[in-house]
Amino acid sequence: MSKHKFTRACAALALTLVAGSSLAAEKKLTVGVADALTGGGAVYGLPQANAVKMAAEEINAAGGIKVGADTYKIDVIAYDDKANPTEATNAVRKLIDRDGVKYILGFCCSGSTSAVASFIGNEKAVMLVGNAAERSITTKKIPNLVRTRPPADYTGQAAGTFIARKGQKRIAVLGALDVGFYAQYVDSVEREIKKAGGEIIAREVFSLKDRDMTPQLTKIRGLNPDAILVVGYVEPAAFVYRQAVELGMNIPRYGFTSGSEEQFLRVTTSEQMEGVWDLRPTELTLLSASKNGIAYHANYTKKYNASPSPSSPYAYDQLYALKAAIEAAGTVDNTDAVAKALRNLAVPPQVVMQYQPVDGKMFDVNGQAYTSNGAFQWQKGKWVFVEDLPSDSKAYSQFLSTLN
Amino acid sequence: MLIEILQQTINGLAIGGVYVLIALGLTTVFGILGIAHFAHGSISMFGGYLTYFLATSQGLPVLAAIPVALAAGILLGVLVEVLAYRPVRNANHINAFIVALGLTMMVEGINLQLFGHEQVVIPTGLSRVFRFGGITVPELRLYVIVAAIVLVVAMMIFVERTKTGQAIRAVAENRDAAILMGVNVRTIPLIVFGMSTALGVAAGIMVGALFAIAPGIGEGLVVKGFAVLILGGLGSFPGAILGGTVLGITESIAAGFISSAYKDVIAFVVMILVLLIRPQGLLGRAP
Repeated sequence: MSKHKFTRACAALALTLVAGSSLAAEKKLTVGVADALTGGGAVYGLPQANAVKMAAEEINAAGGIKVGADTYKIDVIAYDDKANPTEATNAVRKLIDRDGVKYILGFCCSGSTSAVASFIGNEKAVMLVGNAAERSITTKKIPNLVRTRPPADYTGQAAGTFIARKGQKRIAVLGALDVGFYAQYVDSVEREIKKAGGEIIAREVFSLKDRDMTPQLTKIRGLNPDAILVVGYVEPAAFVYRQAVELGMNIPRYGFTSGSEEQFLRVTTSEQMEGVWDLRPTELTLLSASKNGIAYHANYTKKYNASPSPSSPYAYDQLYALKAAIEAAGTVDNTDAVAKALRNLAVPPQVVMQYQPVDGKMFDVNGQAYTSNGAFQWQKGKWVFVEDLPSDSKAYSQFLSTLN
Repeated sequence: MLIEILQQTINGLAIGGVYVLIALGLTTVFGILGIAHFAHGSISMFGGYLTYFLATSQGLPVLAAIPVALAAGILLGVLVEVLAYRPVRNANHINAFIVALGLTMMVEGINLQLFGHEQVVIPTGLSRVFRFGGITVPELRLYVIVAAIVLVVAMMIFVERTKTGQAIRAVAENRDAAILMGVNVRTIPLIVFGMSTALGVAAGIMVGALFAIAPGIGEGLVVKGFAVLILGGLGSFPGAILGGTVLGITESIAAGFISSAYKDVIAFVVMILVLLIRPQGLLGRAP
């Protein structure tokens, strides 16, 4: 090649690159987060919002979301819904109507999530639900809604089998039973215990703001149960565990709370927690976590100077699922196509939770994802993963499809 | 059954002690100055937060942090009187009412800004449990009950046996006559607010140690405090003591023997029943 030809070739290449780069622009995709950033639900909501922001930073650092020739960098707007249905409705309306957001993540708590789910089907938007465990959220066949956390009764069934296997027959329940998904969890536990010849001998209630559980525990103590089952938010549950010890109740304590060590230790001592079981989806603990989970835990702790709550990866995984769905659909504007792509998505390799795909897909036809369930026990200041709780995601998915 | 009743009574005594302290603070201000001091609960929570802050961030032992918080409470009470209520003392009652509501929102906002939105528990390190037959009493609850009794007795002695206490009672009975008798009525509101806020701070510390302090808890506490005031009789010190104790024990027994779902409702039903029989409250004076 002559010097002249070489110069022309270089000039042509430069022109091609310049033209190409002007077509493949870097754009911004704003995603919204509606979650409990303050108030009682913040123990779940704030870590979820943090997790989405962290995932966005990671995705941006890795080059963003690629749609055809375009690359989208993610921007996150988070609003506080205080786990309140009215606030959640306002937050989501603001995201859609004012901020022009099409993809809304977060949603830790069932009451507020159900309120948004009731109208999201009419919107050109996609809703990705996290920790909210109320079953009915994914029984309404809303095409533009998916959820990363399995419903509470899916876990309750596995928990009931575990408790029955431990040989306890008379179980006293203390929990936030006026909250639908906690009641559903207990109903599932009861069905399994009854199959083994046991019974629930008491269903005592606490509210989110209750901190003195001694009246209920004293009543339960008088019934002489074999074990207690505590279902509810971390903070009141922590008081139940502490006050049960103070009342001298030396019986097995099972729970369904998903609180981190840090959250429990704000209320109780490690000695008071020793031996407590948490029967829940196999969420984040260092011993149960995958390689992704361990990296997530380390990155989150470094970034926020606090341990992530076990349920926070539900929101982290939402953003990676959304990224994969947008890339598969090849559009950010057509939310119907993205929603459809979510339903056909294989589990993305970057997710933290250990999902059990149904027919090879992360979300089933109802938009529901399933993780494995596990038995965790508090041992010397830590939640220790003890064993998997057998759970049949396909059978449950078929059951879910029969509900309205 | 007897064991359970006794256990529920012990359970109720600790929270009853907190109600008594809150109600005494409220009844002092209301009985003597005629002010419905709604910000009392939020200021109590400020005291609890301050103790937590001193004990955790500043490394003070809890026993050293408590007197500092009580002293800060007295100072805060004086400031509230001078800056918030004194300017409207001679105005229509509605003015003091609005000031009280505004002050509540302000203190809640300050608590949120200074101490954040997360619930905090004051670390006491008291985790022993005493057992008497079938009854168990956690060490911390026992100390809370004892501390409440000591504070109530100290306050009664101050009001009944000291010259300042006599002056306070004189102002409560007849302000004009008290002026004629040479009582310095400008300092009485300062003393009343200082004393009332210190009692509130003590209650806030107890709540923070027994349970937790979080935004919104102070509002619930002040509602219970006013319920105790009405139950015991407006402006009556013995009424506040009896009313607080009755409310605490009733809540506990109602949750244990009727239903935990209606714990608060049942307590208020009892209050209404008492008022139907004695409209002036348990120990209030008939008009």
